[in-house]
Amino acid sequence: MDRRIIDIGLSTFLIIVSLIILTNDNLVEGGAESDLGSMFLPRVVAGLIILFAATIAIQSLRKLAQGSKPEGQEVIITNGFSGIFIYIGIFIVYWLVVPYVGFMVATPFIMISVALLLGGRNWVPIVATSLITPLLIYYGSREFLRVYLPTWTL
Amino acid sequence: MFDNIISGFSSILAVGPILGIIAGVVIGITFGAIPGISAIMAIAIILPMTFYVDPIIGITMLLAVYKAGIYGGSISAILINTPGAAASFLTALDGHALTKAGKAGKALDMSLFASVSGEMLATLVLILVAAPISLISLQAGPIEKVFLLLFAFTVIGSMAGESIPRGLLSCCLGMLFAMVGMSTITGASRFTFGYTELMGGFTFTPMLIGILVMPEVFNVIRRRKVPHHEMTITHSPNPADNRISFKEYRSVFGTILKSSGIGTFVGALPGLGSSTAAFIAYGEAKRTAKKPEEYGKGSVEGIAAAESANNAVCGSSMIPMLTLSIPGDDVAALLMGAFLIHGLTPGPMIFFEHTETIYAIFAGFLITDLFLLGIARAGFKFFVKMASLRRYYIFPCVTVFAFTGAFTAGQNMDDILVLIAFTVMGYGMKLVGLNPAVFIIGFILTPFLEQNLDQAMSIVGTDYHLFFASPFSWVFIALSVFFVYSSMRVRSKTSKKAAPDIEKTA
Repeated sequence: MDRRIIDIGLSTFLIIVSLIILTNDNLVEGGAESDLGSMFLPRVVAGLIILFAATIAIQSLRKLAQGSKPEGQEVIITNGFSGIFIYIGIFIVYWLVVPYVGFMVATPFIMISVALLLGGRNWVPIVATSLITPLLIYYGSREFLRVYLPTWTL
Repeated sequence: MFDNIISGFSSILAVGPILGIIAGVVIGITFGAIPGISAIMAIAIILPMTFYVDPIIGITMLLAVYKAGIYGGSISAILINTPGAAASFLTALDGHALTKAGKAGKALDMSLFASVSGEMLATLVLILVAAPISLISLQAGPIEKVFLLLFAFTVIGSMAGESIPRGLLSCCLGMLFAMVGMSTITGASRFTFGYTELMGGFTFTPMLIGILVMPEVFNVIRRRKVPHHEMTITHSPNPADNRISFKEYRSVFGTILKSSGIGTFVGALPGLGSSTAAFIAYGEAKRTAKKPEEYGKGSVEGIAAAESANNAVCGSSMIPMLTLSIPGDDVAALLMGAFLIHGLTPGPMIFFEHTETIYAIFAGFLITDLFLLGIARAGFKFFVKMASLRRYYIFPCVTVFAFTGAFTAGQNMDDILVLIAFTVMGYGMKLVGLNPAVFIIGFILTPFLEQNLDQAMSIVGTDYHLFFASPFSWVFIALSVFFVYSSMRVRSKTSKKAAPDIEKTA
């Protein structure tokens, strides 16, 4: 994948967001009067973002206009990206189910899924690790850290 | 100062802190030795576990993880030629050559002794230099602090990014995200879009784990089809090849001293980091070596130079953080976050407000080196075995630790969403050449900048020229310009040098 195209898209997005910050007064609510004002620093930063994003976009645009091939870090290698999407999916499912089924029930399934994704096929140690680790974390958090991880609420 | 140091030792020599240091060293070496897990990842995962203990125990444990993690990186570099961090690249060159020659024990020993020597020297410098510098920086008022922080942003942004605009853009994005939520100065809510959950801003720990740790997990998942490398320590029938004798250590001691000095100096400058220190020290050691041709082919002196320099950075990177509130690199930024969570605000006042704690941490720093030496030496085989565990055992655990760590911060499921969002963002930033570490530094320092800027505005009123009345202001402006200029020069030289190489290879 050609990173220069992403550079242009991302820079455009950042410039638009920065312009909104510079021009929209509804992004801040309430607050006391101060010498600086609540939006002074965000607007300075937005101005700088426009400057740097535009620099990156112009550099990429120039190279694209010259027709030069992407080289080095300008090439994004997308091999193995499917695994990343599956992992994000697993994490989102984990986030969604933990409040209902609890940490102790959800975690072994999630650990087994990640192990499978990474090519693990040694079932006995994988299942054992997936059962022991949440148990240790749950009781360790409760007894030593006084952190109560979510439990079954269905 | 000596009274404080002695009092620091008396605080640290208790069961809790010592157990914390031992746990930190074991975790640090194990995590550091596992390819794909860096010291920063280990610290971020351990950080939430330290919330509920005394700062002396918590911070010393994190520092032990840091030091041991940096050393641990050299184990995988030497044994399987896989440097855990860029700083261990040079160690891998010479260390793996020795491993192939059946001298893994020699390489591991040299790496350990050089690491501990470098760290100890840098820690001594930290102890002796930090308090006097803090006395000078105490003279700085809000105006000077504004310029100091702008200097920090400029230097870190321009030195650490893939290119100057990308580094500075990363910093600006961090600054912008830091301003989400209620302003500490005016009480106004900014960029919350009506969501009350955003009033407190983004929770630091899930954001940190998401932006710095989880992209490493993504990298491992991407490379999941790369075959697993088993680590083994090769043994030579000649016992002298399996260890470092005192004579050998003495012969490279000069190199260790010089490289530690380079590492300490480079580490104290914001934005350069341990890789730069290792490369400069290695180059200098090679330049002055009697047998420079051995470098890269199994030179013990080469390992000593690279390891002592990259480990010396551990101690000295604390100098700008503790004296000026400027974290010099990603690990220092993370540790600064840990200090803040524990109620210690890094900066010159820390030496007066938390004298006992800070000197106990310094003492812990020194004691960690001794434990690192003893534990690493005694447990080489154990750590190698742990680091050889297959990734499908390690990374499911990392996933759960990340989840638990993010939840622990506020005991809130929304923080998991923050973790997921910043994980995607951190990985995306890496893909487009933005620097997540610089983003974090921008995020941490912005509240200080805003507070000081507000105070400075109150002082100067409408007489804006007063901003430039102090010589400090001019010094920091000049330093910022100098760093940006020198960074531009170095980058243009590097690209010019790289161009003919590319042409040659083509």
